[in-house]
Amino acid sequence: MMREEKVRRVPMALSALIALAFAVLPLPAALDAFRPDFLVLVVIYWSIESPRAGGLGLAFFSGLALDVINGVVLGQHALALTLMAAWATHLRLRLRVFSILSQSLTIFALLAGYQFILFWVDGATGNPVTNFGRWLAPVVGAVIWPLLSGSLSRVRER
Amino acid sequence: MVAFRNTDTSGRTSGLLLRCVLYCLLALGLIIVDKRYDHLGKIRRFLSIVAYPVQVAVASPFEGWNWFRESVNTRDALRTDNDRLKAELRLAQFKLQRYEALEAESQRLRALRDSTAGMSDRFVVGEIMDVDLDAFRERVLVDKGARDDVFVGQAVLDSGGVFGQVARVEQLTSEVILVSDPAHAIPVQINRNGLRTIAVGTGDTSRLKLPYLPTSADVVVGDLLVTSGLGGGFPPGYPVGTIAAVKRDPSQSLADVDVRPAAALDRSRELMFVWLKPGEVLPSAGSAGSAVAALPAAAPSTPPAASPPKASKAAPPKGPGVKKP
Repeated sequence: MMREEKVRRVPMALSALIALAFAVLPLPAALDAFRPDFLVLVVIYWSIESPRAGGLGLAFFSGLALDVINGVVLGQHALALTLMAAWATHLRLRLRVFSILSQSLTIFALLAGYQFILFWVDGATGNPVTNFGRWLAPVVGAVIWPLLSGSLSRVRER
Repeated sequence: MVAFRNTDTSGRTSGLLLRCVLYCLLALGLIIVDKRYDHLGKIRRFLSIVAYPVQVAVASPFEGWNWFRESVNTRDALRTDNDRLKAELRLAQFKLQRYEALEAESQRLRALRDSTAGMSDRFVVGEIMDVDLDAFRERVLVDKGARDDVFVGQAVLDSGGVFGQVARVEQLTSEVILVSDPAHAIPVQINRNGLRTIAVGTGDTSRLKLPYLPTSADVVVGDLLVTSGLGGGFPPGYPVGTIAAVKRDPSQSLADVDVRPAAALDRSRELMFVWLKPGEVLPSAGSAGSAVAALPAAAPSTPPAASPPKASKAAPPKGPGVKKP
């Protein structure tokens, strides 16, 4: 059991790192608003598939990394990611037997919750972003979820 | 096995709640401490060094591509480029002659009025890193940080005019908030008549607005806006933009004025960090009321190299302004 977890940590850390890089990858301005929160998707995926190996620690530290790289108030993304990862872990047994559509809908709810927490912290710390563009990311994220979880499963099985 | 798993799951679920609460409290604590007390500068600086490789890794393919494109430039392209640059340089040198005379005159006038010369003394050029920070905030990451004495609130220029100011400083990088960020405001004055107001960002890199001008204000399309130096953040006299549109609705008390920024907010790669001479800001702030004083105050003594591109780009609106004093 222990050894299995150790093996899983490498793809987990790697996928989180790649997702982190994607979060700041320069995109054309037109596409920028559609950038999905890959890191959130990856963290949710690992919270569902192997909550033991990464779980909330992964969520918290990924969020912290996102805070530092994005240059926002420290702890904002960490808080949002931790809460959503906990929710995903709680839902994981149900999520595994869901159809793809209902999985995507659940993921949409998680991503929207994530954005809402970011939105709330933004407002509470005094620099609100009142732009409807930010609610596009959850939609895009929910749409690409089946693709992402499929490819991550393939990586994990190898 | 099944039995084990069941106890395992239930055990983990209660653990999950506990750990979730712990991590959330930790995160909330971080947010509060970071926001309220600003004690996390050192931690953040350390973390940013850890994050630097990621940023470099993201930026490097694009830099590599730029380098590649530049190195396979054809001879023809290089020659036309060279010709253009030479022409620009000639024009700039021509303008500089006039500029130096004006600067000397400004020095004399200032000496008469017994105030210090309004010159910025030090410039450092930084390059924007190819990293997107936030789609909905107008900010860029620049490869100069605390190591180069960059400080929060420092004015940042590009070859066209005022670009923004430093919002956050890390060890190796700093974050610059653009003048077009909705949260950014900059004290300006109209170069033609010295009218002072505040330019506020709109979130659109091609547009600023002047929300506090009365309908009766003397402002026409094409007027050059320069920094007024009030508030102390920016050196006075740098071009901020030109008036692009003025809408006057008689039923409103305030006019609706659009400004086209002078800096190439969406195209510049090289930015200039400016250090003001201590004691500069107050005298020029006092003098900013008179219309004529503003422009000579702009004359930066050290960077003649920096001003030619500025002069050549902002040439049409600036010409009359320069002649005036």
